[in-house]
Amino acid sequence: MYSYTEFDEAFVRERVAQFRAQVERRIDGSLTEDEFKPLRLMNGLYLQLHAYMLRVAVPYGTLNSRQMNQLAYIAETWDKGYGHFTTRQNIQYNWPLLKDVPDMLDALADVGMHAIQTSGNTIRNVTADHFAGAAADEIEDPRPYAELLRQWSTDHPEFQFLPRKFKIAVTGAPNDRAVVKAHDIGLEIVKNDAGETGFRVLVGGGLGRTPMIGKVIRDFLPKDDLLPYCEAIVSVYNLLGRRDNKYKARIKITVHENGLDEFKAQVEDRFALLRGQFGGADQQLLAEIKAQFARPDLPARDLSGFTTAYDNDPVFRAWVDTNVAEHAVDGYALLTISLKAHGETPGDATAEQMREMAALAAEYSSDELRISHEQNVILPHVAKSDLPAIHARLQQHGLATANIGLISDIIACPGMDYCALATARSIPVAQQIATRFDELKMEHDIGPLKIKISGCINACGHHHVGHIGILGLDRAGVENYQITLGGDGTEDAAIGTRTGPGFAYDQIVPAIETLVETYLDERESPDETFLDTYKRVGMAPFKAALYPAEEKSRAA
Amino acid sequence: MPLDPASAPVADRVRDLNERYRHHGATAVLERALSDAQVGNIALVSSFGAESVVLLHMISVMDRTTPVLFIDTQMLFEETLQYQLDVSEKLGLTDVRSIRPDPEKIRELDRFGALHLSDPDACCDLRKTQTLASALAPFDAWITGRKRFQGGQRAALEFFENEGDIRIKVNPLAHWAKDDVRDYMINNRLPRHPLVSQGYPSIGCKPCTSKVAEGEDERAGRWRGKDKVECGIHFINGKPVRRVAEGTEGEATPQEETTMSVIVTDGGFAADDWNGELAAPEDTGAAAVLLPSDADPEVLRDRLDQLKLVAVDFPSFADGRGFTIARRLRLMGYTGRLRAKGHVIADQYAMARRVGFDEVEIDLDLATRQPEDQWLRRAEWKAHDYQSRLRA
Amino acid sequence: MSRQFTPKVVTANALLEGDVVYLTADDTWTRDHAQAELIEDEAHAQIRLVDASARADEIVGAYLADAKAGPDGPEPIHFREVFRTRGPSNYAHGKQAEQ
Repeated sequence: MYSYTEFDEAFVRERVAQFRAQVERRIDGSLTEDEFKPLRLMNGLYLQLHAYMLRVAVPYGTLNSRQMNQLAYIAETWDKGYGHFTTRQNIQYNWPLLKDVPDMLDALADVGMHAIQTSGNTIRNVTADHFAGAAADEIEDPRPYAELLRQWSTDHPEFQFLPRKFKIAVTGAPNDRAVVKAHDIGLEIVKNDAGETGFRVLVGGGLGRTPMIGKVIRDFLPKDDLLPYCEAIVSVYNLLGRRDNKYKARIKITVHENGLDEFKAQVEDRFALLRGQFGGADQQLLAEIKAQFARPDLPARDLSGFTTAYDNDPVFRAWVDTNVAEHAVDGYALLTISLKAHGETPGDATAEQMREMAALAAEYSSDELRISHEQNVILPHVAKSDLPAIHARLQQHGLATANIGLISDIIACPGMDYCALATARSIPVAQQIATRFDELKMEHDIGPLKIKISGCINACGHHHVGHIGILGLDRAGVENYQITLGGDGTEDAAIGTRTGPGFAYDQIVPAIETLVETYLDERESPDETFLDTYKRVGMAPFKAALYPAEEKSRAA
Repeated sequence: MPLDPASAPVADRVRDLNERYRHHGATAVLERALSDAQVGNIALVSSFGAESVVLLHMISVMDRTTPVLFIDTQMLFEETLQYQLDVSEKLGLTDVRSIRPDPEKIRELDRFGALHLSDPDACCDLRKTQTLASALAPFDAWITGRKRFQGGQRAALEFFENEGDIRIKVNPLAHWAKDDVRDYMINNRLPRHPLVSQGYPSIGCKPCTSKVAEGEDERAGRWRGKDKVECGIHFINGKPVRRVAEGTEGEATPQEETTMSVIVTDGGFAADDWNGELAAPEDTGAAAVLLPSDADPEVLRDRLDQLKLVAVDFPSFADGRGFTIARRLRLMGYTGRLRAKGHVIADQYAMARRVGFDEVEIDLDLATRQPEDQWLRRAEWKAHDYQSRLRA
Repeated sequence: MSRQFTPKVVTANALLEGDVVYLTADDTWTRDHAQAELIEDEAHAQIRLVDASARADEIVGAYLADAKAGPDGPEPIHFREVFRTRGPSNYAHGKQAEQ
């Protein structure tokens, strides 16, 4: 994986020094709060409900053990001993003091990490498939391109004050695990008829209050054109995007209001103007980056230990069945460590858990870890024969929950427990749903079901693309939760449909239970997933179950 | 009654007042202005425009008997006249004085009401400036709603100003930002001027006010297309000062209310060495133009080689369009002097240089708040630059 | 105006710590909602807010929040403000841990 060059290192140090001075200048009055706010945001620092929050980037979700250990150190030294992994491959610290933040950033720089452009109206942390470089279905590892985009977008002088935030995701596999269709720019590595690889470029996707699926702006972009083409898109957006209304400022609205054809025409014009700017230095750099992402050597291993454990230990078997995915190399596995223990906060890990995961990565996964947008941690190169030992270690640290892709593997934003923008809480709803279905011992029977919860219309919890989406709102001073069904965040991306009126805080868990019971009644076989059943039978039976009184009054 | 002429000179009192109220908020300044013996007999001058209701509301809370002078130029929008009546009644203001231009002078100089077409400055002078000057005669001080954020010449605005050693001008909202005004109006549920929702964020006389496009400077709709940024109603050295349109006969040398600006380059601060006007981008003969942040740089394509200076406006440091405009001008082949002008902060200096700007023009207020050393810290803009590694 | 004015407190976050603070009657900032000044007059509330907002070297983002009188001092009304007096619901962190 990528390690910082001297240039990267010097850049990040300089940036920390700048931020240290900015904090001092805010305190001495040189910078007003209005001026300081975008500067602190572009260094990852928010002011939330109870405290500041520092959001640290995990570029394309890839970490080594030294970096994970440092995240643990930061959590213990300047925070309350834990961190929260987010839906965009970041980690958030919820309790830093303003004066400590420059020191935290220096500690990150010590291990080649940063918090640059994790917020603000800039190009944010570039995300990628969390199985990149290991998945069996992959055309090419997307991370070298993500790293190239990171370098291009970092401190890009034209794009630090865009109309609104700008998110880019890259996938190298046809099975989209990076939700590229819900990004401002989505990049899919594809092969054309001539057998060359390039990018299908999507533009104008996004969730938030106006969810939109990204539109294809280029079917096939030669790989060498990546930077000038992205620069053309963002450059056109910077002038064309609305600045009068923050809810209409995202590129999805720009594309929608101007029409894809007009937008594309301007982009192609700008691309022609810009293409000559990139004369090959970027491709040379890319080649150097690629070399660092070469897959580690994964020697063949005897499988007997794995087979014995799998056949004899039902707990181990259940865990393998849910948490292990197919690796490109025989005898190896992609292991997802669940940060969704029943009743715990989705995405949170204590410093001790981070250290354990770091140790396991060093010992068993070629020193690599990944953070998924579903708020879990992945060991990407694990020999199957090591899985029993890893499982035993994870059990000792509350990390062996066998629920990946199941009903308790919930995405939840921080909601009103932390976020200043939230209109309702998300975390306790997730905790209660997970606890309830764990009590019922039903979740393995229910099978794949993605619940996603957002505590406000901005949709950080991706509720629009949850099979069951939950949106928390403030209705006349009381928390109220709307439900959507049928959303999908994969290559078949779809926005969920609202069931009807929302539910009070103490009614939302029973409502979810009702939906699940309805699914179990309706499904044709245990193999038919919740989403498949919903697609077959539609909204009607779910609606009838959720709102029985209304159905009766209509029938009467 | 006016203050006794024996009381301290205006200049001393203004210095005192600014010193005393330096760290106060708008309401404190206003409250004291209404009662402080150093200020004297005071009136609020209000246009009943888009944002006037803020000061009117404050006055109504503190002392609703304060005289309010409303200059009816007889060129106002119907909506403004109605709004004046509605707001005065709602807020319970007891001394609103509608003041009109001298009918004799109107008959003499603008019988057909068309002076604004031939000479907008003379029209302003006749209908507004002179009218106000006579209405203010009995007062020691007056209150205005001017704010620093409203633009270059107002950027160094103080709470108290000395007006020609005869009168104090009080600007309680000097330090307010755009959002403060909006928040205050929302929080107090104050009635909006009916034209605001129709696209007129800054409202003056009907003939000289046009709508403002999205993202355009709020005052861009005032005297659009005319070389005029301030109404003559603002005074320097006690005398009404206004810009004199080219070609008209100025008596003596017109004094302009200009604020000195500072040019920042890699070498630090310097005075502006460009001695010429900045024309609008449509002015095809000009050697120097000021490009608004919502302009399409394509308008300059055909005459890039005749331009000596292009200044790109930054109405707010958060409006990043100017960076893309500069980059495009350079890509289009412009090699002349390129200036970022307006609210650019020291932290953006390297960005400005990297996209192709040669220099930044800031006002004195910003230069004071962010002194030279803060800019020089970013003078090494070629270091630590990812772009230069990728573009070759 | 016939409409009843809901009493307010001025609240913000401390610039250096980020913690929730409230304005007291004697112009200091307290971390305890019950110590806040309960403002019963609308015009006075505006003046207090404007004055508080000017203290940019101490706080960030001052606003008026609905409150009511309680036996020990002002109490919040909206659930968001209740959370702000306590801390998050998933861990005993924030103000609830200090009490």
